[in-house]
Formats: sequence, structure tokens, C-alpha cells
Amino acid sequence: MRQVTRLLAAGLLLAGLSLPAAAATPERVQVTGEVIDTWCYITDIMFGEGSTHHQCALWCAVGGIPVGVLGDDGEVYMVLKVGDDTTNVANPAILEIQTHRVSVDGDLYERDGIKYLLIDQVVNDEGIVNVNHDDFGIQPFGE
Amino acid sequence: MKRALTLGALALAFFASQPAAQAAQGWGLPEEEEVRFDATVVDVLCELTGDCPDNCGNGTRQLGLLDGEGVLHFVHKNFTPFTGASWELQDFCGKMVTADGLFTTNKGYRIFVLQFVREGADGKWQRANRFTGQWAEKNGVAADSKEAKQWFRNDPEVQRLIDEDGVFGLGADADKAYFEANQ
Repeated sequence: MRQVTRLLAAGLLLAGLSLPAAAATPERVQVTGEVIDTWCYITDIMFGEGSTHHQCALWCAVGGIPVGVLGDDGEVYMVLKVGDDTTNVANPAILEIQTHRVSVDGDLYERDGIKYLLIDQVVNDEGIVNVNHDDFGIQPFGE
Repeated sequence: MKRALTLGALALAFFASQPAAQAAQGWGLPEEEEVRFDATVVDVLCELTGDCPDNCGNGTRQLGLLDGEGVLHFVHKNFTPFTGASWELQDFCGKMVTADGLFTTNKGYRIFVLQFVREGADGKWQRANRFTGQWAEKNGVAADSKEAKQWFRNDPEVQRLIDEDGVFGLGADADKAYFEANQ
């Protein structure tokens, strides 16, 4: 009996080793904010919000830079899923809502200082409401 | 002896003048750290949820670097303009690599820029700038062409989106008004 228990424990251990180490229980959330290019926003290498940065945000999203939602709470949520589509590099659904102000329902995972958002549904899409290009021009090259 | 010293000095001068081929290069980012560390390449969504397609999604998933202490580093950027790092790391899915690049910390977030990568401790260093070549091949132009270097202006998907909604995402009228006012 003891040997069976040991074998079972070893099997479970091996099975566990083949799974991602930190699969965790997510928090159910609704986030409202602007869809952003996370690189330009976090690094401040240019003004990375609103219509002034929309073209660059498209470049970066198509180029595979992570897209996020800048929540009204000031937090950046990295988007890893939209609806049933679990692709998150240059995802066409994300491109269509780039720079839009949205409200989304989804699952939030936090890991090592980063907030990851798995969007189930975009419940409200207001389009681009952060219209700031008259103040800042076209970021980054002015054209 | 004098000749040997001269040759030695020349050799030192030569090597000192060569950029360390795989050393991280500073970009002047906020709280920038030039780093090199060993880690396993993982699909971030898989790591978080257990939803794990074959081969890290073959370029469709954001990839991260899981270090020996279990810390997941989100990789944001590669070495070329306006591009991420997933395609640079794709070939190393599930493998141990040495990553060389920059951490930057701002607004409470610490993210990683991949500049060089090699498989294991003895692999061949690879500059994290393969995106442009892959884009050029996909779009039927030479990797060193003007079109490839300005891929972001020539990408068909980008052009379609700009044609639809303009550079500000607000439609053609907003573009027209802006350009007329700023000629």
C-alpha cells in the first residue's frame, strides 16, 4: 500500500512538473479605459495616448508589441485574449479597437508586478474619445 | 620586448575599440539596467492559465522569460523599430536561453527589451532584429530595401487600417482638417 502511495505521489509530481508552474486563480474584473500601446506609454519615449499616438499604436500592435488597456484607475492591463481568440500578437480584434475607450469584462492575473487581462467581452466601445492631436501633432515623426 | 609590447598594445587597442558583440546597448530608458540572464522561454498565457498550444502558438502568443527563481519577465521589445520580441524568441519555445538586453522601470512596471539571445550557455548569439527580414520575406521585398526598413509605413494591414480610419483613427475628415491647418 505504501509503495502504491509512493508511486501515485511520484506520478502526480511528474504530472505537475509538466504543467505551467504558476497557473493561478484569476480575479473577475471589469476594466474601463483606453486601449494603448504599452511600450510607448510605459517608457515615456513619446506621448503615448490618444489620437496623437494612434498611428504609432497601430504600428506597434502590428509589430507585435503588447497592447494594453490603460484603466481609469491608472493601471496598465496587458491584454492576452479577446473573446475566444487566444492569439495576442498582432491580434486583428485588438487592432480594430486600438486607442478606443472601452469597457471590458474578463479575468485578471497578476504575476511579478504585471497585470494580465484576458478579455471575455468588450461590453462598451466608445471609439476614440481622447482627441489630442491638435495639441501634440502626430507622434512620433509628425507625419 | 619592445616589439612584443607594441603588438600587445595594438591588440588591446583593437579589441577595446570593437563593440562587445553581444553586450546590451543602453537606450536611455527610465531606470534602465543592462542585463544578461538565463531563463526559459515561455508562452505567457500558457504560463498563467495552462492554455498551451503547440510550440508557444507559433508566433501568435506573447512570450516571456522565466528565470531560475521563478520570476516571469514580460518581454516587450526587440532591437528594431516598433516591433515586439515574440518572433525573436519563437525558435526557443520551452528552451533555456541566455537573454541580453535592458530592463526599464517606469510608472511602476518593469519590462524587458531583448537585444541578443542565444540558446543555452554555448549557443550562437543572435541579434534580436529578425523581424525585418521575416517581414520582407512575407511581403516579397529585399530585407535591406527601403520598404523593409520602413516596414511600419508599408505594412498592408497598417495601410488598410489607416485608409479606413486615418492617422488619428477619427476618419478622413479629421486627417484633412489637421493637414490643412498644418501645411
